[in-house]
Amino acid sequence: MDEELGGISEEYYDIPPVKYEYLDHTADVQLHAWGDSLKEAFEQCGMAMFGYMTELEYVQIKDVHTIEASSDDLMGLLYHFLDELLFLFSYEPFLICKKLVITEFNTQEFKIVCKCYGEEFVIGKHPQGTEVKAITYSAMQIIDDPKDNKYEVFVIIDI
Amino acid sequence: MVVRQYNEELKYLEKINPYCWRIKKGFQPNMNVEGVFYVNSTLEKLMLEELRNCCRPGMSGGFLPGVKQIANVAALPGIVGRSVGLPDVHSGYGFAIGNMAAFDMDDPKSIVSPGGVGFDINCGVRLLRTNLHEKDVLPIKEQLAQSLFDHIPVGVGSKGIIPMNARDLEEALEMGMDWSLREGYVWAEDKEHCEEYGRMLNADPSKVSLRAKKRGLPQLGTLGAGNHYAEIQVVDEIFDKYAAGKMGIESIGQVCVMIHSGSRGFGHQVATDALVQMEKAMKRDNIETNDRQLACARIKSVEGQDYLKAMSAAANFAWVNRSSMTFLTRQAFAKQFKMAPDDLDMHVIYDVSHNIAKVEEHVVDGKLKTLLVHRKGSTRAFPPNHPLIPVDYQLTGQPVLIGGTMGTCSYVLTGTHQGMTETFGSTCHGAGRALSRAKSRRNIDYKEVLNKLETMGISIRVASPKLVMEEAPESYKNVTDVVDTCHAAGISKKTVKLRPIAVIKG
Repeated sequence: MDEELGGISEEYYDIPPVKYEYLDHTADVQLHAWGDSLKEAFEQCGMAMFGYMTELEYVQIKDVHTIEASSDDLMGLLYHFLDELLFLFSYEPFLICKKLVITEFNTQEFKIVCKCYGEEFVIGKHPQGTEVKAITYSAMQIIDDPKDNKYEVFVIIDI
Repeated sequence: MVVRQYNEELKYLEKINPYCWRIKKGFQPNMNVEGVFYVNSTLEKLMLEELRNCCRPGMSGGFLPGVKQIANVAALPGIVGRSVGLPDVHSGYGFAIGNMAAFDMDDPKSIVSPGGVGFDINCGVRLLRTNLHEKDVLPIKEQLAQSLFDHIPVGVGSKGIIPMNARDLEEALEMGMDWSLREGYVWAEDKEHCEEYGRMLNADPSKVSLRAKKRGLPQLGTLGAGNHYAEIQVVDEIFDKYAAGKMGIESIGQVCVMIHSGSRGFGHQVATDALVQMEKAMKRDNIETNDRQLACARIKSVEGQDYLKAMSAAANFAWVNRSSMTFLTRQAFAKQFKMAPDDLDMHVIYDVSHNIAKVEEHVVDGKLKTLLVHRKGSTRAFPPNHPLIPVDYQLTGQPVLIGGTMGTCSYVLTGTHQGMTETFGSTCHGAGRALSRAKSRRNIDYKEVLNKLETMGISIRVASPKLVMEEAPESYKNVTDVVDTCHAAGISKKTVKLRPIAVIKG
């Protein structure tokens, strides 16, 4: 995968600003992410999840992997997108991501292709945060409002 | 969801004795049976507070309070008896956590719901005893805690150290603790002191997705994070000398080890996969529920059967997982004390599941029925003389292990006949959260928690500092309140109280 990194310019190492927060939920945690487009809100939501597993400032961009997610509806798409990211972390390459760039964001056929930048999670190098068990549909909200330029997502993750 | 004023809502709730409330039909739509929950005066306030908060104007789209969730479960097809909330009940995903419900296997409409089991399938607690006394451990407590922490992989991203390949995993999923026994990780007696003897016979690894297996393989033999822990505990109080004696607990100060863990990423993925399948099955079979999160399928349907087989494989995974950590614990103790685990008498007292669905026989309205009993955040508590509990506990009732939270006490209870009739032989599972994780992190100071634990004489090894605040005792309901309610309500009986002296956490 490293050769993929070889051909890319410096800007790929730029770290996007943080546009997410963690909201209250009794047993679990609710991710709230936003952006200038729905695509950005999705990317931010993914990074919010990784940010709960470790402290992202300790993560370097050394590797890039591409994931794909698809579904029948928009909520399903967000769900499967996060589930794919969780799997990327849970099994080889055990990737912890600092940055996500969605290269294809199709809200007609509900398909996402996303480049995931980060490195293999190593205990000792990366502080251990909280383990994410699963993504849930519980109280999931997607605000897609081009009129007010409002793009936000809310997802409860089971921890 | 029906929206009513708080005062209107209260009309559907009736306190039938100091420890028990009835939820009348109509509280939520389509309730087939009534609901019930067990609380004392302290827990009652928490429970009603949660309901009151949700009745406030402008509250929408949030999560349902536990009491509403109990009522929604009462509306599921095929439910018999009552939908039961145990004293540690709190809002969960679909089912409340601390909720049990039984479904008639002979009713073709009856359902199985992954939400009634939880994401962490066969999450449970195992208790090991030793013949050591607190005074034997205190001089080397720090070393012992460190050794345990070094032996057991903990926290997010940790990988198991028990050698495993894909084929071993298949066998482990099918055989459960029989696999651990064959590979030499546990003793034959361990199986005897475990629900289902550590093996669900209907497990079928072919019903499990490749993704679940991939997530599971690196994590077998790891503790996990969140509320999971391994604790060195000492006996603090013995309530029932006879029952304690049967468990090999003889005196105050005796050292035990408690392990709380589940089926890791494997079980989480099995549950996730099943939820997707069941959404489709619900549409096909026109199953109506009050809450979209109560995804379920008819027990007899392909999806229902596949889930039960995959769930059983996940249950086996969890037993192998706890068994692997039992092995590591025995090794850690053996190295520190330079004695064989045998000579330290490190036997398994019991191993309970508190997230599982099981086929059991119960008497309903005077008739013997075969039921699928869902226990989510609820522990089986079978009475004396029940055929499914080990010979050693035939006279005392099944040991029930209630894990506290970091720094608080844990309890051993036993099952009762009253519990068998009132709650299908079920009781609480732990403390149950009271504060949200985010709130804990904002309001509780890291140093303060550590200092407090130190003054209490508790050594702590934790992988994630954030977790210290999230899991601080203040974040939870008081486990003593929970256990006392179960005891007073008669659904289980207090036997032993344990106090931690060292905690290992993710």
